[in-house]
Amino acid sequence: MALDYRKCAEEIAANIGGGENVISAAHCATRLRLVIADNAKVNKKALENVDGVKGMFESNGQLQLIIGTGTVNKVFDEFISVTGVQAGTKDDVKAAAAAKQPIWKQMLKTIGDVFVPILPAIVASGLMMGLVEALAKVPGLGFGGSDWFAFLDTVANTAFAYLPVIVAVSAARVFGGNIFLGGVIGLLMIHSAFLNGWNVANVDAINSFFGVTDGIIPKWHLIGNLVTIQRSGYQGHVIPVIIAVFIMCKVEKWLHKHVPEMIDLFVTPLTTVLVTALVTLWIVGPIFSTLETWVLAGAKILVRNPLGACAMGALYPCTVVMGLHHMYNVIEAGMLAESGLNTWMPIASAANFAQFGACLAVGLKVANQKTKSVAIPSSLSAALGITEPAIFGVNMRFFKPFVAGMIGGAIGSLVAALLGFGATAYGVTGIPGYLTVSNPMQYTIVLLIAGGIAFAITWFIWKEETEETEAPVVKAPEPVKEVEYKVPEKTVISCSAGEIKAPVEGKVVPYTEIPDETFKQGILGEGVGIWPENETVVAPYDGEISSVAESKHAVGITGAEDMEMLIHVGVDTVEMNGDGFEVFVKAGDKVKAGQPLIKFNREKIKAAGHPDIVVTLLTNSDDYDDVKINV
Amino acid sequence: MKEFKYLITDPIGIHARPAGLLAKLAKSFEGTTVFLTKGDQTVKASQLMKLMNLGVKAGDEVTIQVEGGDEDAALAALEAFLKENL
Repeated sequence: MALDYRKCAEEIAANIGGGENVISAAHCATRLRLVIADNAKVNKKALENVDGVKGMFESNGQLQLIIGTGTVNKVFDEFISVTGVQAGTKDDVKAAAAAKQPIWKQMLKTIGDVFVPILPAIVASGLMMGLVEALAKVPGLGFGGSDWFAFLDTVANTAFAYLPVIVAVSAARVFGGNIFLGGVIGLLMIHSAFLNGWNVANVDAINSFFGVTDGIIPKWHLIGNLVTIQRSGYQGHVIPVIIAVFIMCKVEKWLHKHVPEMIDLFVTPLTTVLVTALVTLWIVGPIFSTLETWVLAGAKILVRNPLGACAMGALYPCTVVMGLHHMYNVIEAGMLAESGLNTWMPIASAANFAQFGACLAVGLKVANQKTKSVAIPSSLSAALGITEPAIFGVNMRFFKPFVAGMIGGAIGSLVAALLGFGATAYGVTGIPGYLTVSNPMQYTIVLLIAGGIAFAITWFIWKEETEETEAPVVKAPEPVKEVEYKVPEKTVISCSAGEIKAPVEGKVVPYTEIPDETFKQGILGEGVGIWPENETVVAPYDGEISSVAESKHAVGITGAEDMEMLIHVGVDTVEMNGDGFEVFVKAGDKVKAGQPLIKFNREKIKAAGHPDIVVTLLTNSDDYDDVKINV
Repeated sequence: MKEFKYLITDPIGIHARPAGLLAKLAKSFEGTTVFLTKGDQTVKASQLMKLMNLGVKAGDEVTIQVEGGDEDAALAALEAFLKENL
């Protein structure tokens, strides 16, 4: 359903203490930026729940509401007209906002903004990947070698293998750039001319991909040794992609401003893509690949003793954020080759399961249905060892749960290292990990400790959300929901304009048999009476409510081709003055066939001495010459 | 165009039945359009649903306007109707 800009603006205004509480207002490509006089008048919780507001954050005095490209300007216009506030420019607002949020907080929020829209894709993939990989490890099933596995595994890991593309598109939207150029940058970063990023530490893979023998990834030398590009891709990466798209959007906006409009279309996109590609692959890329090498080397050293394992357990989710965790397979493979026991896996499992615990705690505790509906499936995926949805979509956004997960992971990893068990394979963690661990009992202990601690800390420390929910929520009336209604089967009246279904179940009689002179004579139009067998009147066709009687016993509905209907419950029931009736709609509401309109109490109607027949009339039946009544 | 004002005395006001009768009557004058005004809302009296939606009750003053055709005859018929029914 299209967003009602006016309503959105009104709700925003209502929840920030009205126009007089706004010092200045502006919007950028995605956000409504407001400088607020008195922050105490802002109902943050309610703002987040306003239909159309996708998210919000504050940077000391500047309240930013994420509304979305193409929508924000319309909401902004309405906002200005609703509140009478002077429109400012983005820079005015920035200047008006004296101080800023700490940069790291803004960055976390940005990552969250990028990830929230793409969560459905990665939750679907995460859950499927967890299940498929678990099935493949079940001994004796032979699923791992089957065509079904190959097929399902491909489908499942698509969103992860090509994650940079999805992330890039979403990031371009957040940063206000062209999303298709963003897509190009994302695609470039996993181009098939580059070695798959998951294999950058795998010597054999490097050798076979490039046809080399030294296990070193070749570079393109663009300007001697000064400007080189390492031919490795960014599969599974997040941060380098977001940085790349951030650069891209900056470049694009600068060019749009400075390039003459006549040549803008061919100069700007071309230059944007080229500059971004070069900067990303030449500078950003190497920084990350160096970081990756360090992390990998560090991880190898850390896991040799329990304290190191503890640290690794804490840092593990941070490496997931950077997309480095896909390379740990190399460590695990090395361990298996060396000793036959993969002691890395319990650490990864503890870290992942702790994120599961934290995410689950958020999901169970949070009152906001939007957050809940993200947190619960994300935690399931995390329990299966795929933690990206939980980390990006939930824990990192609220931050405290993420830290709780780090603590849980650290303690779980410490216990695991002290117990000294491991796995006999690699690739799965969490619950599927049971299929590969050498000691299921000890594994259970580790999971319970890691998950339990993270859950408990989150449950007790992470509170703000529930405090805010108690604040009164100012909301405009709910719009009619797009719900599927059961359309009644029986057609009672038909004419050239359409069919009118029975608004209530029961025995149908022609209008001439309704026990009332006015109805009987057809003064209010032709139609039927229905002796009801249930007590709910539903809409007989898709249409708009044209009137609702104050005494709640009758509604008028306009339908296709100006069909006008009156549904009048009982005869002379106007005298009951609403007692025994409940109306669910008001004049002007759009309704769908089958949607409940009135609930009535047959006992009360009878007790008041009235027939309870539901009069169903086409009031403008004179306008049609082919009205048929079906009894 | 001719008009008259009328104070509704029927306790229930213009509910379904009188609205139906009024709409029927309003449609019956050839070449004449009948408007009914309550407060700042004006509807065609022949439009049953809009008429009902005004929620006219006892104590409300309504204005009836007729336009076109035999305005005097229509006005007389409407006045008689209102006095009898409302």
